[in-house]
Amino acid sequence: MVEHPDDYIKPELMACCGAREIGDGDIVIVGTGFPTMSANIAKYTHAPGATMLQESGVYDARPTRPALSVGDPCLNPGAAMIGGLVEVMGMFLQGGWIDVGFLSGSQVDKFGNINTTAIGDYDRPKSRLPGSGGANPIGSLAKHVLIIALHDRRSLAERVDFITTPGYLDGPGAREKWGLPRGTGPKVIITNKAVMRFDESTKEAYLASYHPDTSVDEVVQLTPWKLNVADDVRETEPPRAEELTALREVLDPFRMIKIYEKRGYV
Amino acid sequence: MSKVMSTSEAVRRFVNDGDFLFIGGYVCRPPFAAVHEIIRQKKRELTVTRSNAADDFDMLIGAGCVKRFIATFISLGLYGLARCYRRSIEKGIPHKIELEEYTNLSLPLMLMAGAMGMPFVPVKDMVGTDLMKAKAFMGENKYRMIDSPFDGSPVMLVPALNPDVAIIHVQQADEDGNAQMWGIGGDCKWGANAAKKVIVSCERIVSRETIGKDPSRTIVPAFKVVAVTEEPFGAHPGYTPGFYDVDFSFGYTYQQASNTEEGFQAFLDEWIFGVKDRAEYTHKYIQKFGYPQFKKLQAKFDYSYPVSYAF
Repeated sequence: MVEHPDDYIKPELMACCGAREIGDGDIVIVGTGFPTMSANIAKYTHAPGATMLQESGVYDARPTRPALSVGDPCLNPGAAMIGGLVEVMGMFLQGGWIDVGFLSGSQVDKFGNINTTAIGDYDRPKSRLPGSGGANPIGSLAKHVLIIALHDRRSLAERVDFITTPGYLDGPGAREKWGLPRGTGPKVIITNKAVMRFDESTKEAYLASYHPDTSVDEVVQLTPWKLNVADDVRETEPPRAEELTALREVLDPFRMIKIYEKRGYV
Repeated sequence: MSKVMSTSEAVRRFVNDGDFLFIGGYVCRPPFAAVHEIIRQKKRELTVTRSNAADDFDMLIGAGCVKRFIATFISLGLYGLARCYRRSIEKGIPHKIELEEYTNLSLPLMLMAGAMGMPFVPVKDMVGTDLMKAKAFMGENKYRMIDSPFDGSPVMLVPALNPDVAIIHVQQADEDGNAQMWGIGGDCKWGANAAKKVIVSCERIVSRETIGKDPSRTIVPAFKVVAVTEEPFGAHPGYTPGFYDVDFSFGYTYQQASNTEEGFQAFLDEWIFGVKDRAEYTHKYIQKFGYPQFKKLQAKFDYSYPVSYAF
């Protein structure tokens, strides 16, 4: 019998949802926050053979404190290899070796396209965001992309204001037309309300599972496109005891994950 | 031949208004001593580039030094969006910079192509996205799409970049400019080698003999280097592996200050215009925050095993 303690917070559930998408032996390119937590939960539970890279140039880091950026000092001592962007983004990502990429976006649409460039008009933005960084190449070239987003009608969109990072672009066949590698693309959108997956034929995100304190109706209502619901839609499995143990005792003893509650992940 | 000089002299002699600058670093080793000197000398109309820019670029933009930015990303990391950058783009304060946007794959490869004397380089990212529509001062030359001459598939080509000057901060260099670096590299090696001239800022100047004990760590050869400046603590508030940690609390200080134009000006007055060089800056840091705080940033020693190149 799998144990599910009921004292978890929503960001912990989201980190566990991410972890469950990672397979043993996967090579995962991570940023800070959710990606690192998810990949590490996976590593300490079902996927001990997963290894992580940071785009800044690090392979298989062994940090002794939580990394607060992908260039964090704690990623240096103990890593198996350190190069730079040309090595990680060029040789390994463009070279086709990365199994899983993890992205978040201020705005995500039904095809899994992500906007981290500008809200509003590009030339006269309401809000200027940081830009692509590594997101576009990860979304273009990693075999599976996991997307983290807030579930509301501002963060999700029928169509993002600016496609910084490609999901399925404007639908079936678009990635192939542009020559993006076969079999790549977003796999899942994990929000604070639900897990959405992509329909094989339409490439649109549909509701696969809703989190314990919400419902199909609420999720549909919070989604700005006509959200299809899986025939076998179910409640998301809450964090398992072993996942929470990995997270709280090994990875994040100071519960820094709580900052995501302040950012709206509740 | 010794190229050792002060940062002030290096910036005065080798950075001209209107130049195209590569400024290395990735939280790791930003050349802050030189960035502050560029602001202090009020250099103008610069085009600047690097993958994943941060507080150093934000300061240059806020101080009015930048005309154009070949960018992939800019933020204050843990502390969110870059304030001066946003004020520039959203409100034209102090003026609106021109942006040409690439990614953390395409830009490093453009620098690599520049370093290798290649005219352009094919990249597999950016296609199909709005990064293709957003074109600024590079116009049609931001990229070109071709059909691969080998298999007919669509291929994006991006141009090589050759900055006028690269400024990097490394752990050690000799007086002639052979520069050695270890730890997270970002696009530092390629940006430096793509440039016509390199200014090497370093934690310590070592002998040519020391360089020769571990030559595989050299990322830029002396013949590309025009100036060597010794700047201990020169990457602060960024870090240098083996020397000192990131100063997160100073990062927060900068975020708070740069929230407003007035706060940002006060920050410049205090930490850049109010000191004459990095030595005074460090002295001021210790005076203001106390020696224990300074000491706490210093790295512990954890040496690797010596390597032998003997035959």
